[in-house]
Amino acid sequence: MAFEGAQMFPSTSVSLGNEARATPLDDLENVVALYQPRVFRFLLATLRDRDAAETLTQETFLRAWSARASFREDCSVATWLIRIALNLARDHTRTGRFRFWKRVTASAVDVAEVAAFVPTHERSAEAQLIAKQQVAGIWETVAGLSARQRSIFLLRFMEEMEIPEIAAVTGLPLGTVKSHLYRALAIIRAQHDSSPNNIKTHGATTKETE
Amino acid sequence: MTPQLTTEQQATQAGTTDCALLGETHLTGEQFGALMGGMTEVAGPDISQAEAHLLVCEQCAAELASLREAISLFREASNAYADEELRSRPRWILPARRSLSHSLIPAYWVAATAMFLTALLPMQVMRRHSVAPPAAGVSSVAVSNTASDTQSDEALLEDVNSEISASVPTSMQALADPTADASTANNETSVPTTDQKKD
Repeated sequence: MAFEGAQMFPSTSVSLGNEARATPLDDLENVVALYQPRVFRFLLATLRDRDAAETLTQETFLRAWSARASFREDCSVATWLIRIALNLARDHTRTGRFRFWKRVTASAVDVAEVAAFVPTHERSAEAQLIAKQQVAGIWETVAGLSARQRSIFLLRFMEEMEIPEIAAVTGLPLGTVKSHLYRALAIIRAQHDSSPNNIKTHGATTKETE
Repeated sequence: MTPQLTTEQQATQAGTTDCALLGETHLTGEQFGALMGGMTEVAGPDISQAEAHLLVCEQCAAELASLREAISLFREASNAYADEELRSRPRWILPARRSLSHSLIPAYWVAATAMFLTALLPMQVMRRHSVAPPAAGVSSVAVSNTASDTQSDEALLEDVNSEISASVPTSMQALADPTADASTANNETSVPTTDQKKD
């Protein structure tokens, strides 16, 4: 489904009436311009489907604008948007249709495409190849995490949110967030340590640690 | 007299940071996760112990650094991929649309106003011409035209009503009573016969 851009949204000059409280979301075009990349990144990493990420990004902003009166500014606009996006992603992944099509859809993200975007940082060709393989390994491992572990991992390491902020976004207690993050990290660490490239680099370390 | 060195000092002097020499164990999974996840403020007092361990244990420090780097690359690559994906969809470029639409808003209004006035002006002129001079004559013609139009409309509606209410449409009358048609046909065929006889 194509995203229609600003025309999909109501005009930002719509009068909210005298009683309506002004919110940072009133200027929707500006909000979209500021936060659209961030919401799209999070949804793309969560769903691994370009079309679904695009559709839900659009839906996130529509819902945010529709419910702007309930935005009390007790958190940042970004946090509020990510919370909406997370709920939409959760609803989306619960449907049987998503589960059936997620591996065969044409818009599914190919891990090799993501790995191709590994920054070079003036590495040697061999180091660049190892970096790509490490990124591909993490991308695939994240896909195998439970939905909660994945969300929390992405919020921590892609969105770079602090633990209390993640708790606010997910609506989970701090302890639950921490335990999901520990488990996610333990799985990713195990994958990282068992990766052939990592064994090649830190083989002695891994053996001794075990 | 040579001062007695602690195990840690001996290890440092020897240029090695093997935890075995120090009699220490490596980081636990929880400590590792806490350091990785930046949960220092919520992980309890043993996080400082873990941080101190990293200063003397190259292995744990290297493993932590390696995983941190891999996750950092994962974030950079994922974000760059998502940004590129977003850029490849032109309709998503909202700032450009916004500036375009904002810059064109006055032009839209000017064009719309000009078109409205252009359409309104001839209508006003025609109205003045038609209403002003022979008011009585023109209006009576207009009234009679309207009356005749109404009559013809009513006649047409009546025709339609009768057509609808008729059991058999006019166009299908020929098929309504095949016997009558046959007799009529016979009569028609017989008539010439009799006529011929007469002839």
